[in-house]
Amino acid sequence: MTENGDATVKVVPVRHVGQWIAAAFALLLVAMLIHTLFSKLGTGVYSCHIESGIRRCRQITEWRFSWNVVGRYFFTSEILHGLLITIELTALAMVIGVLLGVLVAVMRLSSNRLLSSLAWTYTWFFRGTPVLVQIVVWYNIAILYPSLSLGIPFTHLTVVHFMTKTVITAYVASIVALGLNEAAYMSEIARAGLISVEEGQTEAAIALGMTRRQTLLSIVLPQAMRVIIPPTGNELISMLKTTSLVSTIGVIDLLGAASNIYAANFLIMPLLIVASLWYIAVTTVLSVGQFYLERHFAKGALRSPPLTPIQRLRCDVAGILSKFRTPHPAREVVA
Amino acid sequence: MSTPMVEARGVHKSYAGVEVLKGVDLTVVRGEVTCLIGPSGSGKSTLLRCINHLEKHDAGELRVDGELVGYEARDGKLYERNDKQICVERSQIGMVFQRFNLFQHLTVLENITIGQVKVKGIEPEAARVKAHQLLARVGLEGKEEYYPSQISGGQQQRVAIARALAMEPKLMLFDEPTSALDPELVGEVLDVMKDLAESGMTMIVVTHEMNFAREAANTIYFLDGGVIEESGNPREVLSAPKSVRLQSFLSKVL
Repeated sequence: MTENGDATVKVVPVRHVGQWIAAAFALLLVAMLIHTLFSKLGTGVYSCHIESGIRRCRQITEWRFSWNVVGRYFFTSEILHGLLITIELTALAMVIGVLLGVLVAVMRLSSNRLLSSLAWTYTWFFRGTPVLVQIVVWYNIAILYPSLSLGIPFTHLTVVHFMTKTVITAYVASIVALGLNEAAYMSEIARAGLISVEEGQTEAAIALGMTRRQTLLSIVLPQAMRVIIPPTGNELISMLKTTSLVSTIGVIDLLGAASNIYAANFLIMPLLIVASLWYIAVTTVLSVGQFYLERHFAKGALRSPPLTPIQRLRCDVAGILSKFRTPHPAREVVA
Repeated sequence: MSTPMVEARGVHKSYAGVEVLKGVDLTVVRGEVTCLIGPSGSGKSTLLRCINHLEKHDAGELRVDGELVGYEARDGKLYERNDKQICVERSQIGMVFQRFNLFQHLTVLENITIGQVKVKGIEPEAARVKAHQLLARVGLEGKEEYYPSQISGGQQQRVAIARALAMEPKLMLFDEPTSALDPELVGEVLDVMKDLAESGMTMIVVTHEMNFAREAANTIYFLDGGVIEESGNPREVLSAPKSVRLQSFLSKVL
């Protein structure tokens, strides 16, 4: 290949000038944004002192984003208690949503027409009405059903009997409303996962003599998980924020706690920042969890599992270091 | 020999009004290899799937090991068997598919142990020992921890055969086991099947491999348009076909 018979050739990669300019411009914008985050604003209040007979005044400045106030409220017990309620609601509603959603999906795919129409109707109803309405309706369900009892249908024989108001508190109504609503969305996600598994997998399991239940639980569902997890992660993160609607029926969640505080002291922005930072923190933890869960269920579907961020970082560092190490491993050129 | 392993009398099957099997008669003797040949759409695979009740036949009598498939005859009536009984029936019949259908999320070893553990209730350790033996038998020692996507088609099909054998079936069904394979991988699967035939396993093989049919089969059935057109000893059937349809079919595939 080379004229002088040299065995090594230096490879010069193509330089993408346009990309470099665009990247530099984007970096500039990011730098400006970060600067505003940590800049200060004048308050209009001056502090003066007399120095060798001359009065010197300086305007008092404060953080634009009131970081000092944010820091003061970040770990207060009201906020932490609200955060706990938010996490509880999210977890319980998602557990109901996922379990019921899978059940509705399986019903929807049943060969029994009645079961599949029931499942379709469930999804149609709970997706068709606003979740805020559902929360308020569940909270006021005692208006429609003042008492609840367990007994033999259409007779007066009852085993347990209680007043709806005492059972369906605001907290319970929130969990029920969010969970049932979520199940409608989850059922479609689960159904997409179930039908994404090749029919041959079911046939092979049935041919081995597995029951339909065994086939679903140990063959189809584990493979459907690969398709189910990413949108479920989406739903989970969305649910974390949807729980803030429960403050309308008096449950004090994270956002409720923040707004209670700013209603008293008018520090609206700092407290919204406090709440938002907590939401972002929890979302970050959930996203990391999702990555590892996806990696677990990718078994067998990919020839090699995706690298974890730490592994990727290690690769990048090794790549950069190898550039500084001389001589670069020579490329053999076959003449 | 006593009762035949499989006996079909006038088996019919329709899909949405299209009659796929129009009265099939077939007898499979214990310990013998039976090959089903015929053009695509002739009903070979459907017949196979009726035998392990993956499909329900509409009319006629189908017996495996002397027992009616999917039904029980009592007091002059036919009672449809419940799911559990059908699962037991199926677990005694091994099936190998054209597209292997290995469980993608399980390793090779787990593919072979799952049926033993879940269906037959065998201890996991004993199931693993058996799986290792079967992998050695199909020439795949050392592939235990691989996932199906990491091995070749021929290897996958051999794992599928081992998976079916793990259930200790009395009958093995092969649905075009080499049709989805690259030509150079067909041989390794056919070799495993020939070994199995020599060991005395009763086998029904739907195939387009005429050489395999000639060498390994005891009986050959030619299906066309949902009926058995011709059957008998493979050498006679393949070298001196009587029916015009078989003559034209063989002229295309040989």
